[in-house]
Amino acid sequence: MGKKILLVDDSESMRKIAGKAISDAGYDVTTAEDGKLGLSKIEKEKYDAIISDVNMPNMNGLEMVKAGRMFASNKYTPVIMLTTESSDEMRQKGKEAGAKVWVVKPFNPDQLLGVLKKLIG
Amino acid sequence: MRNVITGEDGVYKTKSASRYWDARLKCHIVKILPGEYAVGEAGEMIVTILGSCIAACIYEKVLGIGGMNHFMLPFEKYKNRSGENNVTDYKSLTARYGNVAMEMLINEIIKKGGMRYNLEAKIFGGASITDTSTDIGAENIAFVREYLAIEKIKILSEDVGGFLPRKIYYNPTTNDVYVKRIERANAGDIIVAENACRKNIKDKEADGKVYFLDT
Repeated sequence: MGKKILLVDDSESMRKIAGKAISDAGYDVTTAEDGKLGLSKIEKEKYDAIISDVNMPNMNGLEMVKAGRMFASNKYTPVIMLTTESSDEMRQKGKEAGAKVWVVKPFNPDQLLGVLKKLIG
Repeated sequence: MRNVITGEDGVYKTKSASRYWDARLKCHIVKILPGEYAVGEAGEMIVTILGSCIAACIYEKVLGIGGMNHFMLPFEKYKNRSGENNVTDYKSLTARYGNVAMEMLINEIIKKGGMRYNLEAKIFGGASITDTSTDIGAENIAFVREYLAIEKIKILSEDVGGFLPRKIYYNPTTNDVYVKRIERANAGDIIVAENACRKNIKDKEADGKVYFLDT
């Protein structure tokens, strides 16, 4: 059983692209379509890492990450934001929300896997 | 002022779109170039000139907000062995760039409160305007169709392919589009602009920037 990753992105093709890259590397991937659905998964299950988009309907990725810290199961789970946003201001917001790494799309799959490896092995 | 993207150095940057008053059309014109997008407001018309590139107009039918992008895919054969495009292949530069070009436009609408299930699309461009062996226009059309199918965004109308460049006028509040064909003889500038944009993407590997936030 591979380490468990929660991947949250509102774009189905992006979930497929990132999800396949991560699962091909041996991780066990669960996906969610927006921050609200992601948060309900964060509440119910412990993950080894969370990868999330920022701009999503219903609840954005930063709100989800912030709210997710309330649940003991994922209080310390490392979070990677995977987003088209690249401004310093947005990255600062990511840091405040508790994200560890900020990856800007279009991302290189090898880089994303390198980050995951560094964070959780 | 809205944000647009540009493919300079292969890095997506935000900048102010060129916007001017058009006395004949009696509205503000927001002109976008290859690699850029804009989400419009009432009283504006988004305009672009397309060769083999694609412009996708995305409209949130409940909010009445629309935007248009003008994107170019990297020069890369990305059809798989069975001749299909593969929008979700993470090894494909085209898939990753094309996804981001579409996502950036959609994100602007989501940020304004748009819902994905209210999105509709109109697609334009993908003409064969150069005499190369690869029909870039056809690949671009195939990409955007497949992308929209996966994202479950309905294509309301399209005017794609053929041999003539197009000038697109998009009304972002009503979702109306006016297409004007341009004579091939006048397509020189368009080809130059699109090639420059494609070269920018090609010159740079799709290395998304990585920032460690706690350092």
